Order: sequence, then structure tokens, then C-alpha cells
Amino acid sequence: MMLEIDNLHARLLDGREILKGIDLEVAAGEVHAIMGPNGSGKSTLAAVLAGRAGYEVTEGGVRYQGRDLLAMPADERAREGVFLAFQYPVEIPGVNNTYFLRAAVNAQRRHKGEAELDAGQFLRIVRAKLKLLDIGDDLLQRAVNVGFSGGEKKRNEIFQMAMLEPKLAILDETDSGLDIDALRTVARGVNGLRAPDRAIVIITHYQRLLDHVEPDRVHVLQDGRIVQSGGKGLAAELEERGYGTFDEASGDGAAGGATR
Amino acid sequence: MNAPAPMNVDFPVKPEARPYLDAFEGGVAQTAQIEPGSIVRHRRHGLARFAETGFPTRRSESWRYLDLQPLVRDPLLPAPAPSAPVLRAMGEHLTGLLLPGTGPRLVIVDGYFAAEFSALDMPAGIWFGTISAALAERPELVDELAREIPGDGEHPFRALNRAFFAGGYVLDIAPRVKFDNPIEIIHLGSGAAAGSFHTRSLITAGEGSRASVLEVYAGEGRYWRNDVVSARLGAGAELARTAIVEESDEAVHTGQIDATLGAAASFAGFALAIGGRTVRHEASVAMLGENARCRLDGAFVVGGRDEANILTTVDHRVPGGQTRELMKGVAAGRGHGAFQGRIIVREDAQKTDAHQLSRNLLIGARAAIDTKPQLEIYADDVKCSHGASIGDLDEAALFYLEARGIPAGEARHMLIDGFLREVVETVDDFATRVHLLRRLAGRLSKLE
Repeated sequence: MMLEIDNLHARLLDGREILKGIDLEVAAGEVHAIMGPNGSGKSTLAAVLAGRAGYEVTEGGVRYQGRDLLAMPADERAREGVFLAFQYPVEIPGVNNTYFLRAAVNAQRRHKGEAELDAGQFLRIVRAKLKLLDIGDDLLQRAVNVGFSGGEKKRNEIFQMAMLEPKLAILDETDSGLDIDALRTVARGVNGLRAPDRAIVIITHYQRLLDHVEPDRVHVLQDGRIVQSGGKGLAAELEERGYGTFDEASGDGAAGGATR
Repeated sequence: MNAPAPMNVDFPVKPEARPYLDAFEGGVAQTAQIEPGSIVRHRRHGLARFAETGFPTRRSESWRYLDLQPLVRDPLLPAPAPSAPVLRAMGEHLTGLLLPGTGPRLVIVDGYFAAEFSALDMPAGIWFGTISAALAERPELVDELAREIPGDGEHPFRALNRAFFAGGYVLDIAPRVKFDNPIEIIHLGSGAAAGSFHTRSLITAGEGSRASVLEVYAGEGRYWRNDVVSARLGAGAELARTAIVEESDEAVHTGQIDATLGAAASFAGFALAIGGRTVRHEASVAMLGENARCRLDGAFVVGGRDEANILTTVDHRVPGGQTRELMKGVAAGRGHGAFQGRIIVREDAQKTDAHQLSRNLLIGARAAIDTKPQLEIYADDVKCSHGASIGDLDEAALFYLEARGIPAGEARHMLIDGFLREVVETVDDFATRVHLLRRLAGRLSKLE
């Protein structure tokens, strides 16, 4: 199994519990969508999986390719093939985008015992990936995410994902705030990565990306728990009825829906 | 003649200045035979100034962040010219310090001109050479070079330099002559003998001229380099001057540049202080003509127990001047860095537009950084601002790099490099910029 999340509880350092028992299995070759309203814990789940500081796992665990994911530091998870596309990519002044990406690719290659790529080899791969994704090369010579538009930042995330070829890609609201062109780039990136030995988890508030990337499974996250899972039809149902109405209709144990 | 007795003077002498007075008496007898009397008078005048003031102390605002006690306890008297074998051995030290290519270059070893490493050929309209060559061909420039710089009372080492200067250069660019290749001046310390190197230089940029100068300061062993550069920019002249201070681990470096700017002249000063036990770099700019522009940028990196101070003063005396300053600092280990940036806007200097920013990274719990912006504004129709920050590395940026698989240590280095790169990239000349980045990368690879 690519990813097994078992009864995962996590809280912020101030003690507020955000994840209240998540159970989820994602097999290689599958694309899963996790949908839910703001504040349901979607981004916290992504952060805990990627290893961001500021969260404490109080119960449960996560296995990645059979190994204890939570025991690995963030950089090791990434080198082992876990990729998080950030909801808010970070601007890093003075660090050139190409230089950064080459350092990342070579860190991964060293980890796998492969030879590092020199500037020329690296650039050839970059050109090929850019062409595949239909992204211009104007982002390459700029500092990482500095002065990028919202769409450019998300394109840059997808470009990095394409370069690093992760085993498990987690996309945290990568589709939010995108125009249709950028959305297509994201979809191309995700669809291009689909492979029998990879898994993709798309975390999103809306259905629009799922019009372009067909998920195998859709999960609804509500108040720190997965309250329903289903096929791709569930996404359309949510889009139509909203999370609130869904809660009332679902009746499968989610608290909070009836408070409105 | 009798052996030289302690010099008899009719002015008060601070005790720490006494060894330098005695050394002067020994040396000046020789130079007096070859130097015009006017220059010798300049020297004596400088010496008297220094003897009266003695060493600066922490009580003086512009020296408060620097520890000069080791220099007081253990004087470093003016060094003799290096011997021929010492000079020959310097060739290998030059590798890496030079720009690629074969531009004009003047090399100074232990404070004295080293002809064998220098290339002084210049196109018509530019005079470039040593002080002694200038004495023969352009004596009026040497007189200008040896003159007292206003404010020597507060700059005792500048006065000391005036008494003892040996090497140095004179660069004169005729009006409207434009020369875009960087002119290199390499100051080396051989480590052959502990001593002080007093170099004094003059750049005169004629009306509408353009030039760029790169000065590198490096060496081996224990020494004190005390360097003074004056730059006079005529109306509309453009001068860029970059200094890389990468002295030896035991060295003391006190360096300064004083620039005066004519109407609509433009000066870009850049200083990168990345090596030396005790480093003080000062840039003072006075705007004498209207609508002059000035950029003062730079960075210091300190580790170990190093100290580095960068000081800037921009004196807006007339209307319409523009100043931009970006200064960055990184302190690791038990290093101590300081930036003091003073901007004066005098009553007549209306429409002045000045902005100063000091940004600093503190790596490690025992490092320290002081930053002190000082704006003195006496005019009422001006635009002036300043900002200062001292912080640790950005956690969000660190996580972003780690989330791409970059190991934590490498990620930290990337962020420090990026932080400093931002200011190096303000340097206009491409070759100089590449060179700065290379020297910087070398320094950062050794940062604890």
C-alpha cells in the first residue's frame, strides 16, 4: 500500500485538536480527492504528511510504502518520494529557481545512489518537462516564487512535481484561485504523473479540478474526520448540494452539520 | 649625526601614538630626499593630528562597536617594503583574487607597489599609476591626495595614514572619457613581517566621465591595513567603486573612502566584508552639486570571533540629491557585526530623496549584530526613510526547501546565500558581480 493513515489524531501546539481520527488508504496507481469545507482539517492533513513543524500527532500513525512516515524528517520524506504542492508557495528572495530545483533533484539522486546531474543534463530535462506541461521558461531565471502571480506560483509547484517525479503527490488546494489556463496546466501535470507505481492525493474545496482529473475515490473531510467516501460521482454531488446540505443528508455520523 | 633621539614636538602626544612618532622620525629622513617639501609638510601635519588625538576609543560614537585594544597593546608600526623573494612568492596568492581577463591592474604588497604583477596601460584620457609616477607626471594630483580631508580630527587613522602613506594609486579620468572595464587594485599582505600598511589613493573623475574600480584586500598573517581613498566626481561623472575585504584571520583592516559629488554626478559604492579579525569599512559621501545620486550597498559576514563594522555617511548639502542604501549583515559563531548609517540633509538640501535599509541575519546564539540608522534632517521638503531588521532564517522558507528534499544544512546555506545575493546583484558590472558571488560562496562554505 502506498499510503495508510490509521486513526490519525493531530493538534496544534496550542492544544487545539484538528485531526480527530483519520482513516485512509491510497493504493499505488490511484488518484484520491479529499474534499471538505474550510477549517475541516484538509491543510493540516497535508502538513502532517509532509512533516511541517507546528503539529503534534497524539494518536494513530501513517505508513508510506510500509514504512513509518512520521518518523522521517521532512527532507527525507521528500527524497523518499513524497511531494507536497503547497497551497501558498513560499517566496525565497535571492535563490534562483533553476538552482533550487537542481539542488532538489540532485539531493534526491544522491539519496538513491545515482550520479548528480550537471547543469547541461539538468537543463535538457527541464526543457523537456516544460514542453510537456506547456509552461514558458520565463520562471526559470527568477528567484523562487518571488514576484510570481498566483497562477505562476501554482505552475511552478506543478513543474517541480514533474521534475521530482514523486511516488506520492499531495496537492493542497492547488486549484484555488486559478484561471482556466493555469488549471489546465495543473491537470496536465497531474494526469502526466498518473502511473501504476504512483499515487496522487488531491485536496480541494471545489470540484473544478476534478472535471479535468478523474479521481478513483472521493472522500469528504469534516471536522477532522473522513465522514464519507465514494466514487467520482460524490464530487459532483457535493458541488451541487454544498457541504452543509450534504451533512444533513449524509447522516453518517458527522457532527456540526445540524448547527445551522 | 647622532642616533635619532625621541622626536621633539611642540604638541601634546598620546602615549599610544609615541611609537609611531618615533618610527616617523626614522623613516622621513629618507623620503625627504626624494619627496617635495610640500608632501613632507603634509606628512608632518598628519602626524601631529594623530599624536594629539591618539587611538579612537569606544567613547567616540563611530568607533563604539570596535575593539582596538589589541592594536593599542601591541603596536603595528609601518612595514618596510617587501623583499624580492617575498614579492615573487605573492604570485600564487593572486590566483582567485583577480577578475578573469587582462584589464588594467595595480597590485600593492604590504603597502608598496608591486610592478611585476601590475598592468597600467590605459587608453588616452586616463592617467593611472603609482604615487611616485604621479609625482613626476601629475604633481598637482599628489598634492590633492596628500591634503587633509576635512574631519581628520575625528578620524585619527586617516591622519596617521597621511603621515605614513607609501603605496596607493592615482586615477584621473579626463572629462567625457568613458571606460567600462573594471580597473583592479589588489592589496595584499605577505605575512612576511607584522606591521601596518598605509595606502592612500585618489580618483578624480572629470565632468561627464565614467569608470569603475574594484579593490580587493587580502593577505596572510598578522598586519594592520589602513587604507584611505578619496574620490572627486565632477559634474555628471559616474563612478562605481567596489571593495572586497577578505583579509587574513589575524588582520586589522581600517579602510575608508571619501567621495565628493558634483552636480548630477553619480557614485555607486559597494563593500563586501568577508574576512579579517577586526574590520572597519567607512564610506563618506558629500554632495556638493545639485541632483547628485549616490548608492551605498554592501554586506558583512562574520564568524569565529571576528568583528566587522560598516559605516556610511551621506551629506546632502544642496538640493535634489538622491541616496539609496542597502546593507546586509550575517553573524555566526561569536562574530559581531555592526552597521552605522548616517544621512544628513542640510537646510538647503530641499527635495532630497534618501532611503536606507539594513537587513541582518543572526545565525547562532552567541553572535551579535548592531544596526544604527541615523537620519539628521534640517530641510522640510524631503523624502527620507530608513528601515532595519535583525532576524533568524525564515522557517517557512526552510521548510519549503526541505519539503523538496534539500537537507536542512544545505537549505540553511541556500537561504544565507540568497539573502546576501540579493544585495550583490545590485552591482552593475557583470564581471565584478560574478567575482563577488564567487568570493562570497567561498566564505559561506566555511561559515559555522
